[in-house]
Amino acid sequence: MSSAPIVLQIFRGDADSTGGEQRFEVPSVEGMVVLDAVHYVQANFANDLACRWNCKAAKCGSCSAEINGRPRLMCKTRVDEFVGEIHVGPMRAFPLIKDLVTDVSWNYEVNKQIPGFAPAANEPVPYRMLPEDTERVYEYRKCIECFLCQDVCHVLRNHDDKSAYYGPRYMVRIAALEMHPLDTQTRTGLLHGKAGIGMCNITKCCQEVCPEHIKITDNAIIPLKERTATDVYDPVARIARKLLPSRAGQPAESPDGLAGATPPQRFAVKDVIRLKTRGRRFARVANVLPDGKLQVWILHMNGKVQHWDGPKIVRTSDVTNNYGPLDEVGIGGKLVEQYITEDHAAEQHG
Amino acid sequence: MLVIGAGGAGMRAAIEAAAAGARVNVVCKSLLGKAHTVMAEGGIAAALGNVDPDDNWQVHFQDTMRGGQLINNWRMAELHARESPDRVYELETYGAIFDRTPDGRILQRAFGAHTYRRLCHVGDRTGLEMIRSLQDRIVQLGIEVHMEVTLTRLLKDGDRVVGAFGYNRIDGRFVAFRSKAVIMATGGWGRIYKVTSNSWEGTGDGVAMGFDAGAEVLDPEMVQFHPTGMVWPPGVRGILVTEAVRGEGGYLTNSEGKRFMLEYDPKKKELSSRDVVARSIYKEVQAGRGTEHGGANLDVRHLGAEKIKKKLPSMYEQFLKLADVDITKAPMEVAPTIHYAMGGLRVEAETGATTVPGLYAAGEAAAGLHGANRLGGNSLSDLLVFGKRAGAAAGAYVRDVGLGKIDERQVTEEQRIVLLPLSADGTENTYLLQQQLQQAMQDGAGLAREEKSLKTCLDRILELRQRAARIHVPGSRKYNPGWHTARDLRFMLTIAEAIVRAAIERRESRGAHWRLDYLEKDPALGRVNFIAYNDGGHVKLKTRPVPEMPAELAKLFVEPGSPSPASTPPAATPPKAQQVRT
Repeated sequence: MSSAPIVLQIFRGDADSTGGEQRFEVPSVEGMVVLDAVHYVQANFANDLACRWNCKAAKCGSCSAEINGRPRLMCKTRVDEFVGEIHVGPMRAFPLIKDLVTDVSWNYEVNKQIPGFAPAANEPVPYRMLPEDTERVYEYRKCIECFLCQDVCHVLRNHDDKSAYYGPRYMVRIAALEMHPLDTQTRTGLLHGKAGIGMCNITKCCQEVCPEHIKITDNAIIPLKERTATDVYDPVARIARKLLPSRAGQPAESPDGLAGATPPQRFAVKDVIRLKTRGRRFARVANVLPDGKLQVWILHMNGKVQHWDGPKIVRTSDVTNNYGPLDEVGIGGKLVEQYITEDHAAEQHG
Repeated sequence: MLVIGAGGAGMRAAIEAAAAGARVNVVCKSLLGKAHTVMAEGGIAAALGNVDPDDNWQVHFQDTMRGGQLINNWRMAELHARESPDRVYELETYGAIFDRTPDGRILQRAFGAHTYRRLCHVGDRTGLEMIRSLQDRIVQLGIEVHMEVTLTRLLKDGDRVVGAFGYNRIDGRFVAFRSKAVIMATGGWGRIYKVTSNSWEGTGDGVAMGFDAGAEVLDPEMVQFHPTGMVWPPGVRGILVTEAVRGEGGYLTNSEGKRFMLEYDPKKKELSSRDVVARSIYKEVQAGRGTEHGGANLDVRHLGAEKIKKKLPSMYEQFLKLADVDITKAPMEVAPTIHYAMGGLRVEAETGATTVPGLYAAGEAAAGLHGANRLGGNSLSDLLVFGKRAGAAAGAYVRDVGLGKIDERQVTEEQRIVLLPLSADGTENTYLLQQQLQQAMQDGAGLAREEKSLKTCLDRILELRQRAARIHVPGSRKYNPGWHTARDLRFMLTIAEAIVRAAIERRESRGAHWRLDYLEKDPALGRVNFIAYNDGGHVKLKTRPVPEMPAELAKLFVEPGSPSPASTPPAATPPKAQQVRT
């Protein structure tokens, strides 16, 4: 079904010149994507047209551009979506190098500032992680680093304030690390400080443009905001202290409560924990009892079938944290939510 | 030390070399984390035995050798099978998370020609998980990465490689690295063909640079067709459809709705080795039983929408977006696509050292492990096992040697070659020449080869080589893809010539190399590997005996009652020629 030629308006120019759009006509082929059209221009009209691309299958995140004003991957955008001219330009949140290529090196610099994966030194290899605990991390790890979310983030784009906020991509990366079942590092101090998670006011533009359909705001930024609130201001611990005055073996809370201090070992409903007894069995917290003991279900494997044994009562000194609280925190969750809402109202005024 | 290429092998090598105390610089043509490793979908083969407890390294070793039609380097296959489980576990300590069994261990899936379920995977984005984990590790270790730099020539001091020269893609400025050792981890050369699953980067640079510097290129004729690439629409032709589709239970049918693999390989069916499945699809199409656009149907509908979306999410997305096909409701149309180069620089199994002092290679750029055909999933484990080995060996080597001298004349000469296309007196369009080369290779040295088509192809390559000297590219040195392609084209022409010359000489059908004029295996050719080497700028060919297995490994391949594993089957049933019965 070859019909009328496709008209492309491609931005040409570099950092030293003002630049502008140049018009090209490309024969239409069924199923063509914008990257095909750009390649046709490159091969036939403008050998020196600069653009990045690699896999051409939406797996590498190289060919990010703004197509009719919207940040998208050129390899995944069909030309038959559009009526009339197609405008293709570079991402505008980053300095222009030439044509469709921008200088995205800032992102790589930000990445270097995030403390990497830090398992416990004595964690036995091969690792044991339950499928239900790994599955939620997959969403963050789907990220192909196309930086479209960075491009559309109003903090980075409109205010051009790259010193105040790491941007959505790196919230996703921090979320992946924080939610990794075996990670031991706390990054909430960084989030509260240099990473600037407070700058995000949840407009959700980033999650709208994500080609991997990662719910960046809902599943990465908001849970991280909750975590930061918990760790930095600690309303949960305050409530928990009132409710559970007898929790033994807990170190006195450090006055600043910021990153660097070891967080006290806390357990909440739905936490996955491990028994200290031989075999280090997995267990899941069913309830935190008023005397501080835990009611748990213990995992036994019968071949490949899971069998949950319980409920059993154990002391907190008999178990170890497999990692921090899950998505919904059992205690004080409402308070955190309330705090977040207030925080945002405050920020918008400021 | 210098590592060229930041895919799986390059990054793993850099990590190991840094651990050995070397100062490592990594150079890559794209941004970090975009290398072709991200395209790997199905998984990484390692005999963990988590799902099938009977699996062990000996079985993996046998599968690899049989898949490679026994012209593999047995020692590489042995090391690979023994060490890949540890490399997979190690990757999880860098932060990777594979799909899991209900009791929390790494889940494994079935794949073509693997006896047991052996592929550790994360849905269908295993390569992304791997590259991101390695990338994070590189960042954690503070290893310096030079992004968007292309190196075009190895610099030598006497016999020894002492650095490399090239240009920065962004501003076109020249760069030279002076280093005690160089590790080539530049991947393959799928871009030489028209229908390929490879990105623009797969131009064979590293192997061609090594060849120019005097290293031997092993098995160049062995180019793998992945049986299932997308066919329609034209823009997506060649894009990979992962073997995991078949691993999860998808099957192939022809236009008559018949499941033809039952006939070509009743035992392994769709999960036969890639060469067999690719040829079967080709034959069905030749016999007039192809689909509308010349392929076969790959059907997963019986798995149910939920499983498809969980286990094959990117395939679902890819077909929906690019081909308007909902694979939970309609079959996928697929045909063979160029996927992988089994050939590459000849290396020592234990160290990855090439025949040139100071030059190492790992991953797809190296050869020997896969022989005449690679099994799916063996590539990712190859990257980790031999990336680590090359990194360790080069790391030890640089402790004992000093820096070499950079020869100014080599630098000046390369500068002249690189700048040539920008001078005004040429007339040829670099992209059109590239397309003509791709077409020539597709026609002449593709899935089905014969003497006549190969010779025509060789003539076309030699003619293109003449014309490549007259390329003209407009514009400046600043981020100019046309100019970049002009240099890549020279590498591609060198490799193409090596492929075709070796393909002419291998007068038999073995693994991925299928000769219509010699349908059977020739036991004599089964004992040799072809080597391309540089003789004063010309591609010359010689043979080397296939390394002989020690008795205790060789006995794994002797079956009671059969005199020789290379017994010739009747010509009427060619697919059997690719099998050694288990």
